[in-house]
Amino acid sequence: MNRIKRALYNSSVSRFRFHIQWLAFVLLVYGGYLAINIGDQLPTFACVFTDYRGGSCYLMGFQHQMALPFDRLFSGRGIGVLTGLMTFFLFFILLNKAWCGFVCPLGTIQDWLSGLRKKMSVRYSTYSRSSFRKIGKIKYIFLTLLILIPMAINNSLFGLPKLNHDFAVPFCMICPGRTLLPIFQGDFSQLAIDFSSKTKMILTALGMAITGMFLAGSLYKKRFICLFCPMSAFHYIFAKAALLRINKDGSKCTRCGNCYRVCDVGIHDIADDLDNKNILKDDCMMCFKCVEMCPENDCLEVKFLGLPVYKATEEGFFTRMGRRGHGK
Amino acid sequence: MENERFIRMQETTGIHLAMEVEETLQQLQDFPDTPEAMDYFFDFFQKLFGKNHRLPDKKKIIGTLCLQVPDELILAAGATPYRMCSGAYAYDQIGAEFMPAKSCPLVKATTGMFHVKKERWPQQLDALVIPTTCDQKKKSCEILKEMGYPVFPLEMPATKESEAARSYWQESVKQFTLDLQKITGNKVTRKKLREAIDLKGKGGRLFRKLHELRRSTPPLIFGKDILLVTNAYYLDDINQWCAATERLLMELEKRKAAAVHVGQRQAPRLLLTGSPPIFPNLKVPILVEQAGGVIVADEVCSSNRLLYDAVAFDEENLNDMVPAIADRYLKPCTCPCLTPNTDRQRRVLALADSHKVEGVIYQAFSGCMPYEMEQKQISTALGEAGIPMLYLETDYSPEDMGQLTTRVEAFIESIIARRRKAA
Repeated sequence: MNRIKRALYNSSVSRFRFHIQWLAFVLLVYGGYLAINIGDQLPTFACVFTDYRGGSCYLMGFQHQMALPFDRLFSGRGIGVLTGLMTFFLFFILLNKAWCGFVCPLGTIQDWLSGLRKKMSVRYSTYSRSSFRKIGKIKYIFLTLLILIPMAINNSLFGLPKLNHDFAVPFCMICPGRTLLPIFQGDFSQLAIDFSSKTKMILTALGMAITGMFLAGSLYKKRFICLFCPMSAFHYIFAKAALLRINKDGSKCTRCGNCYRVCDVGIHDIADDLDNKNILKDDCMMCFKCVEMCPENDCLEVKFLGLPVYKATEEGFFTRMGRRGHGK
Repeated sequence: MENERFIRMQETTGIHLAMEVEETLQQLQDFPDTPEAMDYFFDFFQKLFGKNHRLPDKKKIIGTLCLQVPDELILAAGATPYRMCSGAYAYDQIGAEFMPAKSCPLVKATTGMFHVKKERWPQQLDALVIPTTCDQKKKSCEILKEMGYPVFPLEMPATKESEAARSYWQESVKQFTLDLQKITGNKVTRKKLREAIDLKGKGGRLFRKLHELRRSTPPLIFGKDILLVTNAYYLDDINQWCAATERLLMELEKRKAAAVHVGQRQAPRLLLTGSPPIFPNLKVPILVEQAGGVIVADEVCSSNRLLYDAVAFDEENLNDMVPAIADRYLKPCTCPCLTPNTDRQRRVLALADSHKVEGVIYQAFSGCMPYEMEQKQISTALGEAGIPMLYLETDYSPEDMGQLTTRVEAFIESIIARRRKAA
């Protein structure tokens, strides 16, 4: 048992993640060809606009449900909404934010683009602490809007006039998942501006602009788009109930900052927070690179249902650092 | 006339130094149960100072003061990093000429050494890198430049918490890399830097193993021996140091298996912190262990602080490895020239916990302001944790040996009495 544990803690979670990521990508983007579909309430960007997908993102259905008139939302139909949310919740607590780090196809594409940048020996850029804090708030604004805008279609919010039906799934219209993921099935039709109505024109034009930013941004900044992601904000609401956790023992921390320096999203608290045991922050994607690069025994620990599945060890750190090809 | 006096001074200093080294080595070897693998380190220092204190026989030598100079970069530029902080009383006396009477013996001795060697060393050193740490080191830059040394001040921030401090230091290290290429005429490549990181990492790993073995109760090795090993780390060829340390580790593992230990079975376990013990000034550690204590852990810049931390980079490119190296020398650093320095309190407490420390010896060189001033914080933090601390203000001269011995013996007695009371 101890030998198995030791081998596990000496292993590289990044390699494991690399393989899980492409497998998940194949499953979610091409699953339909193999008649696989794991559900419509996934807490990750498996895009509905991809025809032969292996599952779909919860946000699409959620936005549709939010467009219900209030009298129907708070009637029998509401049960459907709740079961949807419940299914999403059950999927989510299983992996917590590792859905972002291991499964999300948009996350995977960004990591592949980062790999390309790395090969070209281009330095990645980072945000200053204050911009990081400011940008981090945007995802909550997106989340609020993706609930409020559909609601305003059939309901008059604050006495404002109702919105037209073209606002039905506003977030999908601007999400790079809609424009990019169908391309992997040879479908370029989403990569266009829809001129059929003014609303659609504005939303799809925004979508195109964001897609451009996604591609250019993630070539320079690791996980560029994740800081803006409303799904990530949505996750964080439920994160305290999740089964997969990342813990930190502040007394073992030397504040060397290795964890922060390898963090793809750039979370300072992982190095600076010495008091909180549950170290998961809203921007975290649970890639566990911080655990890999922590040289202090038991300082950072990944637990599933209270059982340690991976943790920082001195031996593991030196094994990984010494491995040929580390950081390539 | 002037020249004659200088030559005479050189000769007498040389004789005094040799005597001092001889005596220290004798004291170190007088302890019972010294591991055989320690012979390498005794020989090393014997050779280094024995006849004539000389620079190593290498082509490109970059002298450094303070541990913040990134050795990895120097190695990658095809040169040899050589830390030149001096612990010799013989040099201390010469240095008094250049500095106020109340200044730090370490800086005084270092300046004195450079004065004595000013005929040849300025030509033999490709650069003398001095990080802007404490005021005295900073000011010595000017004195040493005056003597003709190729001084390179490495700009370092006085804090490490802020983002600005971190990027300032990264920029400073980046500039240092560029300057090193000019100084040595060699290019720092990705491959060479990776090799240098691995090499230093290997040394650090071996130190961590030693550090881990020091947790054993009863202790397997005296602290004075460990300090000699870590002192050799920044002077010796790194590959030879690694080989010798591996032999020591093997011997200690065997000792552990055979339940061999050093000192009295009930010897109090002590931690040493404060101003750095630098060979031949191992006065305090030797005295503490002669009095019956065993130093099982330390938090000094000539040992733990120098060797414990490791470089971690994310991408094997110069543009990530160089800042990663910079981070390693600033972020975990517990040097008291930084403010705030709460990490040092945390570090001392963590070491006390992991190594079952019963008392702390705080050495402060008189004139070493940063350590003198931090004494209070550390003793308060230790007091709250219920760990007694002995504050020793000392210097390089052997004059205070008597009173130090009395105080150390009383401290050790009190720890034993405390233990009895607790039981």
